[in-house]
Amino acid sequence: MPELETIDLQKGLEVFKSRLQEADAAYLNACVHCGLCAESCHYYRMDPQPENIPAKKLDLIAQVFRRHCTALGKLGLQGKALDREMAKAWLDAVYGRCSLCGRCSLNCTIGIALPRIFRAARAAVTAMGLTPPDLQANVENALRHGNNMAISREDWVETVEWLEEELQTETGDPGARIPMDRKGAKYLFTVNPREPKFFPLSLQASAKVFWAAREDWTLASDGWDLTNYGLFNCNDKEAGAITQSLVDAMARLGCETLVVGECGHGYASARWEGPEWLGKSYPFKVISFLELMEQYLEEGRIQVDPSRNSQTVTLHDPCNLVRHGGITEPQRNILRRVAASFQEMTPNRAENFCCGGGGGQLAMAAYKERRIRSGGMKAGQIRDSGARVVVAPCHNCIDQLSELNKEYQLNVKIKTVAEMVADALVTAPPTGEA
Amino acid sequence: MNPVLPAVAWCVLLLGAQLLRTKAFGRKALFAPAHGDPAAGVRYAFTGAMLPWAKESVRMNPVSYLTGILFHAGLMASFLLMAWPRKEAAPFALLGALAGLGLLAKRAFKKHLRAMSNGDDFVSNLLVTGFCALAAASPFLPSAATVLPWECAALLVYIPLGKIRHCVFFFLSRTHLGAFFGRRGTFPPAA
Repeated sequence: MPELETIDLQKGLEVFKSRLQEADAAYLNACVHCGLCAESCHYYRMDPQPENIPAKKLDLIAQVFRRHCTALGKLGLQGKALDREMAKAWLDAVYGRCSLCGRCSLNCTIGIALPRIFRAARAAVTAMGLTPPDLQANVENALRHGNNMAISREDWVETVEWLEEELQTETGDPGARIPMDRKGAKYLFTVNPREPKFFPLSLQASAKVFWAAREDWTLASDGWDLTNYGLFNCNDKEAGAITQSLVDAMARLGCETLVVGECGHGYASARWEGPEWLGKSYPFKVISFLELMEQYLEEGRIQVDPSRNSQTVTLHDPCNLVRHGGITEPQRNILRRVAASFQEMTPNRAENFCCGGGGGQLAMAAYKERRIRSGGMKAGQIRDSGARVVVAPCHNCIDQLSELNKEYQLNVKIKTVAEMVADALVTAPPTGEA
Repeated sequence: MNPVLPAVAWCVLLLGAQLLRTKAFGRKALFAPAHGDPAAGVRYAFTGAMLPWAKESVRMNPVSYLTGILFHAGLMASFLLMAWPRKEAAPFALLGALAGLGLLAKRAFKKHLRAMSNGDDFVSNLLVTGFCALAAASPFLPSAATVLPWECAALLVYIPLGKIRHCVFFFLSRTHLGAFFGRRGTFPPAA
């Protein structure tokens, strides 16, 4: 990260201005400082400092907007310039005190989509070279190695081969496959690199569901990483390049539909932001794996026994999947079928609290203490639910929840939806390749 | 001399210019297919989403919500009193003034609110509260009725310069918010 004295403020300002559209200008003119957003923010709830109030963070950006983008500001009559101190304040506010969860948007009296403005400020901070280096490293890994954890192609392929053997053992079906680079498959399934790296059984669970449904699917040896940390550093060019690798994999394999594995920001990136970063529509459909699993259950393509998941289960709603992604009910419909007892957290769905790991927070060591503290809201929700199992359809959330589990001594198991489905599967298709 | 008409002209002109400038930032075409209906999202943003039970921020702060409603209703009543000085409207303006004082006290004494406030927050409140108080008194006190147009003019002149400009940008912001969440299938909520 460059020293503050050497940063290019002009570049930051240009990038900030270039991102502003009508909606942003409206939002930046609309805040009335009522302060009712304060309690909607998990940072503020766990650490009630003025700096954690969403409107206060927004005000830092609105001041710069007024100075540089309005007639009165240009005359020096209102607003504050984007100087080094302000750049530092932006960095702290939009990277260090916000997970871009958007809960404040729903609770804003006026109706300001604050994360949209915070993302414009993040883009400016990135243009000035102030992005936290560990977050930026994730982006650079994805651009250089094709995935954010720099897993080599050989390691990825070998891991999948090993998991295929495990799947055959688990199912007793020597024909069970985890297809790689199968051209013309209906579905291309994309994965969070945390799965092959740390949670291979999670990937195996997804494969088991595909196997049970006798689905025509494949993984890709290149373009398999669903994550996109460009969503967090807000460099649209880099984010677009990462998205392009998925588009290229779809074109190379000729698949019909891109299936995004369980990952909140991965879904938001591939489904919602990707086409905007690339400036064009995809020639294929994008769906969440949750939608597909729900369909299997509804169509009777897989059979489940909920008694196999006998402990009370609760569900965490990842912000990018639910509030910003619109995938709210499939995971609930699945859990009602595969778990003996399902208990909602309060609040839930679009009103959920962020676990604290969103917005790239897990990748920014400098803000770890704040991340764990802000996660106290989620820890409280989990404890209040009385559940022994927390299901989270997002691997980033799972990492954060695992840390919260230790920190707040919750004594819960944390699982993906696919793991729950896989554990409840009771029927097997006939032996042979699907 | 009636100061209100030139103040109205100034207010409308400047707010209009700000709105045009905002529109000039433009909208980018969207390429991701919609999951929900943006129009339904906008409708919900202006209806269900504004009901007191729909927002946690209101459920946790019902007094502030009610005070805000009274403040805005009092302001409307005060404008009505300017054009149509009837005693029946005075209680609403008075409630608006009292609500304004309440909000001012809240801003001054609540630590987190004071920390995020600036001069504009206080000036805006005082102008509106003063306007409501004078309007409430105007049917009964000739001196209040004399001062009222000047207070109204001061308020109108200030509107485009401070946060009261949200009288225009509220509608634009909520429209965009509703369209965004409507498109993504979050608004209106399924359950």
